[in-house]
Amino acid sequence: MGENGPVLRAARMIALAGASLALAAAALVTLSVTARWLTSRGVPGDFELVQMASAIAIFSFLPLTQLRSANILVDTFTRVLPPWVARALDGVWDLVYAAAAGLIAWRLALGAADALRSQTGTMVLLLPIGWAIAVCAALMAVLAVAGVLTAVGRWSVSREERS
Amino acid sequence: MTDTMVAVSGFAVMLALMAARMPIGLAMLVVGGAGYAWLGGWAVFLNYIKATPYHNFANYTLSVIPLFILMGALAEKSGLSTALFRAASALVGHFRGGLAMALIGACAAFGAICGSSVATTATFGRAALPEFQRYRYDPGFAAGTVAVGGTLGILIPPSVILVVYGISTEQNIAKLFMAALIPGLMAAAFYCAAIAWLVRRRPEIGAALPRASASETARAVRAAWPALLVAALVVGGIYGGVFAPTEAAAVGVIAMLTVAVGVGGMRWGGLKAALLQTAETTGMIFLILLGADVFNAFLALSQLPTAAAEWVTSAAWPPYLVIAILLGFYIVLSAIMDELAMILLTLPVFFPIVQALDLGLAPDEAAIWFGILVLIVVGVGLTAPPIGLNVFVVSAIARDVGLPKIYRAVLPFIGADLVRLGLVFAFPALALATVRLLT
Repeated sequence: MGENGPVLRAARMIALAGASLALAAAALVTLSVTARWLTSRGVPGDFELVQMASAIAIFSFLPLTQLRSANILVDTFTRVLPPWVARALDGVWDLVYAAAAGLIAWRLALGAADALRSQTGTMVLLLPIGWAIAVCAALMAVLAVAGVLTAVGRWSVSREERS
Repeated sequence: MTDTMVAVSGFAVMLALMAARMPIGLAMLVVGGAGYAWLGGWAVFLNYIKATPYHNFANYTLSVIPLFILMGALAEKSGLSTALFRAASALVGHFRGGLAMALIGACAAFGAICGSSVATTATFGRAALPEFQRYRYDPGFAAGTVAVGGTLGILIPPSVILVVYGISTEQNIAKLFMAALIPGLMAAAFYCAAIAWLVRRRPEIGAALPRASASETARAVRAAWPALLVAALVVGGIYGGVFAPTEAAAVGVIAMLTVAVGVGGMRWGGLKAALLQTAETTGMIFLILLGADVFNAFLALSQLPTAAAEWVTSAAWPPYLVIAILLGFYIVLSAIMDELAMILLTLPVFFPIVQALDLGLAPDEAAIWFGILVLIVVGVGLTAPPIGLNVFVVSAIARDVGLPKIYRAVLPFIGADLVRLGLVFAFPALALATVRLLT
């Protein structure tokens, strides 16, 4: 898994799409604020569109953060460990993260199905939130895959370091 | 085992996992989930995570966090952060230690654009450390100044920490931003005073630069003004009641993008870099928020927060003593824990205590004042040994300096912060005056 491995490239694309969605939400709010000044009426439903965009954007960032090992951890108490042990340990936590993400992906998928069945919609535009939840569930599944891959990558580096 | 005992053991297990290199957000998520399932049953927990993770992030107010980070990233990638630093150093660089003071000034201005201390530290670590090297500043002093200057990212509004505080305590975020203004400006002034004192004692650590000519200064200031204009738009808009914080963040991002493309010459490559950097920083913050949400749901189920609040109020200690104890506890905890995780985990326990105290302030004023005190302590925690996130960020950029040197350089600034904490503690008006004036 090098700097340009296919998985990392895919995670970058996903995060870019999510960040562009956040940017689009910002543009929408700006438009709404401007419209409110000019016509004293904002864009209807901007509030709920921002909510949806923000949730999807945030979930889309998590795989990239994981693949780039950008999550905060405390290494103060484990500095005495040989590097290969620390790396192997990190691999274990990657796998735990993958399991947690997989669990959340599964539950969110069920939640999405519930929301679609009951046709839960947003307040103003009546957008079906089930689809937004389904996208987030898929992103959590991507995160689970990313977790497994980082674990495997770290363990193979750790084995090399030991020998 | 009683429910409170379960919660206390949960805390212990979580801290142990964190000490064993488990990412902080993940430790909260896993222990919180297990604790929730233990107390409430698996079926209830599985039902809880069916929609809650989505609804917690589908939050209008919370969306300001990625936006305030994006605004900072756009400013960096279009060279505006460097322009701010150049302008400040053209103005004050010729004083002894002037480059360090210029950095503090640039960080303060950048703090009005960016809401994250990590992002501010990384930005100026990259932009300023080479300049410090060029003028032969002491490397430890330079790196320490960047780590401290980075805290201005949250001390000067907008501030991720205040957004999170406002959401978890249900306080008005615009008012929190107003209250942070004077303490934030005090921070910048106190840091400059600390620099002046340090270079007076050891002139060799920060030599004066040759004085910039009037035309050079004018050019440098002209290059920085678009960034200042966006900062004024965002902060002024919130203070003037023109925008809600989310609107200010959105308008600020679009304004900054316009400036970055129009003035800074940003193209797709730069925008892409800014978006990806935003994704990584935001992802890091939101894993912690996700974990804290689950852990706090577990805490609420255990009734520990209410029990703690009842216990403290029944002890009937003097109210200001209780606040002092809480702050002292925060200072100790922030030395060993991530600050965002710390406030997320402790507020459900501490905030009811604060609200139950008779401080002679209206409840929302007490909440805002306490928020500013917490913010100051968080700033200390970001730079204080042994675990100061900003120091880690700087040392990752200045690889040859070494943590002990940076921590030693940071200590005088922590002294300045403690003085400031004492002042805001003794005079709540330092935080509340702007709120009373503007609302």
